[in-house]
Amino acid sequence: MKAKNIFLALAGLAVAAALVVFILPKKEADIVEIGVFLPMTGGVASYGQMGWAGIKTANKLEPTVLGKKVELILVDEKSDKIEAANAVSRLIKKEKVVALIGTSTSGNTMAGAAIAEEAKVPVVSPTATDPRVTQNRKYIFRVCFIDPFQGVVAAKYAYENLKARKAALLMDQAQDYCVDLANFFKQEFISLGGVITASTFCQSGDQDFTAQLSSIAATKPDILYMPNYYTEDALVCKQAAELGLKIPILSADGAHAPELISIGGNAVEGFTFTGHFAKDGATTELAKKYIQAYEATYKTEASGFDALGADAYFVLIDAIRRAKSLEGPKIRDALASTKDFPGVSGVMSIGEDGNARKGMVLLQVKNGKFTYLTTINP
Amino acid sequence: MELRNNRKMNRRDRLLSLTTTAVFLFLLFLADRFGSDYETRILINCAIFIGLAVSYNLINGVTGQFSLAPNAFAAIGAYTSALLTMTPLEKELSFIVKPLIWPLSVIHAPFIISLLIAGLVTAFMAFLMGFPVFRVRGDYLAIVTLGFGEVVRVVANNAQSITNGPLGLKGIVNYTDMAWSWGFAVITVFLIYRLVQSSYGLALKAIRYDETASEAVGVDTFRHKMLAFTVSAFFGGVGGGILAHFITTISPNLFTFFLTFNLLIIIVIGGLGSTTGAVIAAFMVTLGGELLRVVEEPLFIGGLHIPGIPGMRMVIFSLILILVMIFARHGIMGSQEFSWRWAIEKVESFRRPKGGDA
Repeated sequence: MKAKNIFLALAGLAVAAALVVFILPKKEADIVEIGVFLPMTGGVASYGQMGWAGIKTANKLEPTVLGKKVELILVDEKSDKIEAANAVSRLIKKEKVVALIGTSTSGNTMAGAAIAEEAKVPVVSPTATDPRVTQNRKYIFRVCFIDPFQGVVAAKYAYENLKARKAALLMDQAQDYCVDLANFFKQEFISLGGVITASTFCQSGDQDFTAQLSSIAATKPDILYMPNYYTEDALVCKQAAELGLKIPILSADGAHAPELISIGGNAVEGFTFTGHFAKDGATTELAKKYIQAYEATYKTEASGFDALGADAYFVLIDAIRRAKSLEGPKIRDALASTKDFPGVSGVMSIGEDGNARKGMVLLQVKNGKFTYLTTINP
Repeated sequence: MELRNNRKMNRRDRLLSLTTTAVFLFLLFLADRFGSDYETRILINCAIFIGLAVSYNLINGVTGQFSLAPNAFAAIGAYTSALLTMTPLEKELSFIVKPLIWPLSVIHAPFIISLLIAGLVTAFMAFLMGFPVFRVRGDYLAIVTLGFGEVVRVVANNAQSITNGPLGLKGIVNYTDMAWSWGFAVITVFLIYRLVQSSYGLALKAIRYDETASEAVGVDTFRHKMLAFTVSAFFGGVGGGILAHFITTISPNLFTFFLTFNLLIIIVIGGLGSTTGAVIAAFMVTLGGELLRVVEEPLFIGGLHIPGIPGMRMVIFSLILILVMIFARHGIMGSQEFSWRWAIEKVESFRRPKGGDA
């Protein structure tokens, strides 16, 4: 009985706390509220945290719009689809935000997209690269390029610049993003006249890739394309070096994390990948200001995930300014007519389809550092 | 005399139950009409988890068989019903790596039928698994079912011509609303409660207390365990289908062990074996998770500004779990059920604190 009483008391306290917070008046007239939903905890928390750092930095650089102070409201989506949908619903219905930024992964962005679409609240995603995120949606936008473009660019680079004719694939089949990229690479590479010698698979969290690498080595490809995340990429490079497989390895934006070099060490020298952002390749005025502010606050190098978070914020603020309104449909129209916006990760235009048209950078690991090779424009 | 009294009480209890259910459903109807989308979302979430937890509780709590497969059941149900309700056109757009195999690619069924088939398919899978699974007892059962959960996830990842692999299914129609989800929850609770109260239920409880003893008094333990497992799987599958049509996009990652883990927390907090407990705890956990978001928001208390810390609610949630385990080791309800008799006695004892004649 006693236990039950304590329990009831606890439950009562929780309800009371909730009531207090729900009732507390907190709206001020001169603020613009922007909702941010990101994975701050859970499986891909590091992406969410990098994105949030970028958004906060951008907010510091441009704290007002239309003469009002911009206030960011962050809701954690726990790297979970159900939570992502709840987060979007909460931000729109309860916090009544004018627009949303989020989230890091495609699947979770899609889980929230239907709700935002129905409420006519625009969403700008920093890093959801799946083409289906914006398909048949009027209110969903992104500031990153989409997977097909990345796969196509990688295939062209392999075929034309590296003169590769035979390519092998190694993809993480637990990640839709990796499978998607590999497929787009495959289509483009074949249509250019190349041959795919081997399609092999791994799973996120795998440690041993020697079986896949041996079967790849047996087909003697000119290049290995593996658009996976940094942990797997680093381990594959190490084991390829141990097996004596000496072919160029090409990857994608998921590889762009300092851990790639700390895990891979010498084995990732010469490792090349397509990415969203390279510090040395950043040319715009905004990028310079941003990198300075970011590195002063966080004492680490600016990278893709935070730069795109910042771009999502800048693009949205720019659209609100041009719309001269805080109404969803008007912001939406302004976003859809974004033209040659000089963002942190490059100059971009956004069309009616919600996708950003912008350049892609090619990076290579040299002397234990990410170095900028070139920018490829669509 | 005693018997007639009992019968009268039963009639009274039934009347009370019916009235409360009606009042509750009416309140839900009001919430649906006048609540915001956010509030109805949370309520739908509650309903789905109530259904899943109550059905999981049947095998885990009531029968005392430590199964860890509800994530697998929900996955099978979700995929089955989603594949049935998606239009052929939507399927063609979704399956970009490998096309969907033939009969599935043209089938297009109404929601209710897809849910029933989802339940049946899941129950059938559980039935097949039951043969080897119930040859083992105790910890082994947990390991086998845990393995089954992984198998389903790996199959979902690799059988690309059926499940679309890691890409998952997108563009599932959003059929699940208040009526569907709460209809599912109420029906599940009602049927499972009735099952537990029946003679089958007595046998299931006997198995929980002592399997060997119940065998000795003539309970066919294998058959009864099978029954509990398949029924539990049926509702788990239907719940998965409802869930899929609620989030409208599913992928193998949604059905990891964490789903099982969440449901396990719910039934342990509620009290293993108590349907009432499972309902209360499902409410607490889903609603609580949302209410606790407060602690992650920046707060102003007086002049003091506390910045929001993401992940804070998980910390508080864990603290609450620990408190429950310290002060109510058998969960909120233990293995008790709510009964009107108990409630009325409670009310009367409040009215007559000196403990009258009753």
